[in-house]
Amino acid sequence: MFLHNLKYELLCNLRAPALIAWLMIFPIFLGIVFRIGFGSIYENNDLFGAIPTAVVETEKDEIFGRVIDSVSGEGSPLLIVTYADNDKALDMLKNGEVKGIIYSGGKVTLTVAGKGIQETMLKAFVEQYGVYETIIRDALEHDPAKAPKVIEALSSDIKACTEIPMTQGNPDPYAQYFYNLIAMVAIFGSVTGLHITENNQANMSPLGAKKNCSPTPKSISLIASLTGSFIAQAVCMLICVTFIVFVLKVDFGGRLPLVYAAAVTGGIMGVTMGFFIGSIGRLSNEFKNGIAMTVSMVGCFLSGLMVGSMKAVIAEKLPWFNNVNPVAIISDCFYCLNLYSDYDRFNFKMISMLVYIVVFTALGIILSRRKKYASI
Amino acid sequence: MKNTVVKIDNLVKRYGELVALDHFSLEISEGEIFGLLGPNGSGKTTTINCLLSLLSFDKGNIEIFGKKMAPTSYDIKKDIGVIMQNVAVFDELTVYENIDYFCGLYISDKELRKQYVDEAVSFVGLEDFLKFRPKKLSGGLLRRLNIACGIAHKPKLIILDEPTVAVDPQSRNRILEGIEELNRNGATVIYTSHYMEEVEQICTRIAIMDKGRKIAEGTKDELKSMIRNTETVNIELIGLTDDIKAKIAELPHVYSTEYDGTKLTVCCSGGKHNLIRILGVLQENDLGFGRVYSELPTLNDVFLEITGKALRDDADSAKKAAPHEKANKKENFR
Repeated sequence: MFLHNLKYELLCNLRAPALIAWLMIFPIFLGIVFRIGFGSIYENNDLFGAIPTAVVETEKDEIFGRVIDSVSGEGSPLLIVTYADNDKALDMLKNGEVKGIIYSGGKVTLTVAGKGIQETMLKAFVEQYGVYETIIRDALEHDPAKAPKVIEALSSDIKACTEIPMTQGNPDPYAQYFYNLIAMVAIFGSVTGLHITENNQANMSPLGAKKNCSPTPKSISLIASLTGSFIAQAVCMLICVTFIVFVLKVDFGGRLPLVYAAAVTGGIMGVTMGFFIGSIGRLSNEFKNGIAMTVSMVGCFLSGLMVGSMKAVIAEKLPWFNNVNPVAIISDCFYCLNLYSDYDRFNFKMISMLVYIVVFTALGIILSRRKKYASI
Repeated sequence: MKNTVVKIDNLVKRYGELVALDHFSLEISEGEIFGLLGPNGSGKTTTINCLLSLLSFDKGNIEIFGKKMAPTSYDIKKDIGVIMQNVAVFDELTVYENIDYFCGLYISDKELRKQYVDEAVSFVGLEDFLKFRPKKLSGGLLRRLNIACGIAHKPKLIILDEPTVAVDPQSRNRILEGIEELNRNGATVIYTSHYMEEVEQICTRIAIMDKGRKIAEGTKDELKSMIRNTETVNIELIGLTDDIKAKIAELPHVYSTEYDGTKLTVCCSGGKHNLIRILGVLQENDLGFGRVYSELPTLNDVFLEITGKALRDDADSAKKAAPHEKANKKENFR
């Protein structure tokens, strides 16, 4: 009986238009939109690679020369410097061979042709140098012996601003949109969960009534429905993560099996949430669907799916909320896996999801276990 | 004496102030096609839902196959087939898969199930639609699928709750013939409807319900014998005077006459040769007439005489008077 129920539950789920639309087509479409939208600023190399820069020396500036040497030397240089005269430098800028021209001698100035991240970084470098130059000149005037150390210290400071490797993962701030996208797919599993109640409660649908007339115990029918929905949702999650990681080439760090595990667990949590909502009282199917969608979309919004900074705002204003918002919990799992070397926070989030799964399932079963109905 | 298959004793079901079933009792014997006839909102579906242990009730007792019916009476449920008023099938499954699914809730053996499903498909004539999804089927075919899903496991008791609603006449006849065939094959059938013609056509015994009460029970002949009307004579004619109408009204066995300017309707209770006597009065008064026909009483006449209202005329008002049923009859959602 159980396997028979499970087989058809799976067939129904995998053929359900709503499931295919919301859990497969929509996230793939949204993922492509995100990828196209963030594409030009996404690549790590573009963001943190050395910036090709032309330097035009109108007159010799020893201090600036030493700073330039320190930021374009061995290791992870900030700049790839080409010394040139003004005409050649302008040609290089025009041809895209360099991102900007720094004029030294007197006041250090910058000419750029675009408004990208690298141009912004050059601007920050020049502005920062302007500030530090005063300190260096002051040191030269008052204690020339210490000047080399001051220059070295400040130069390395400028260099440190370019890249601070806190983690081996992908520090791209736009990756959080993809975390939230997967979390959204997981929480949309609530739509699948709603159908479990609808199809098994005699007072919710003719199908539920018909099932309740059969000699198959309700517990078997419910467990088969839950299992079938879990499997269908897990398939959707695996497809979604695979598409984002391998087709859209979004870097989720090196712990992919755990990313899949978190996504599947999140999906199961979404299904149980829908099961719980579906089991509440005698509200109409449409109303329950509305509740599930509202909870999902509000959760996504507060987790930063629509506005990237929202999660940080919540973390600052209502820090506890990110620990109870199911969407934030799921997306946090990916964040932790990508950026943290230890598993403490990831484990906490996974346990939170498991607690949700147990609580939602238990409440759903308790609310569904009535044997007779007051009205149908 | 045949075994009692269903015994409902003194059933009371209330929805707040509204009494949906008012001390309702019933006994159905093995091999019967038992009709529950009544307007919408009379309590037919509530009775069925209580019978199937889907609904709780305030008072009374229900036994099926001699055992008390409860939600966990799986040994009883395995011998019951249910065809709900609303089509209950999965839109995502094909015709064959739907029948196999519902049959599988009752029959575990795969070989036997396959045989039963094939027989059910053949029984309802859906062989050419096995791979169709329900949304591709017409209303009549969908009803047939609904029936196949309910009877595939060869139940001993089949409950059909208004299975012909919104079905074209051709499909309706096929469904009714199918029900009679199921009965010939040994199944006891409970059939609810507000279509008196259907109930008259197939049911061996009938209970008429109104406002949650059983107002009459018996075979169709027994029910018709309960009322005064035995024959209604209709004569199309022009120029009938009040004097002649009064003469007809004074004839033996005539208890009611109506004339609308073109048609005379005379209701008779018992007696023979009523038509000849009425035509004799017209001939004596030199009145010509057109079409003449005589009607035997119907179950609608029975209902009309007992309740003072017609079965069909009452359908809409009854629906309004029973908001609990109206509100709770949901369409298939997937």
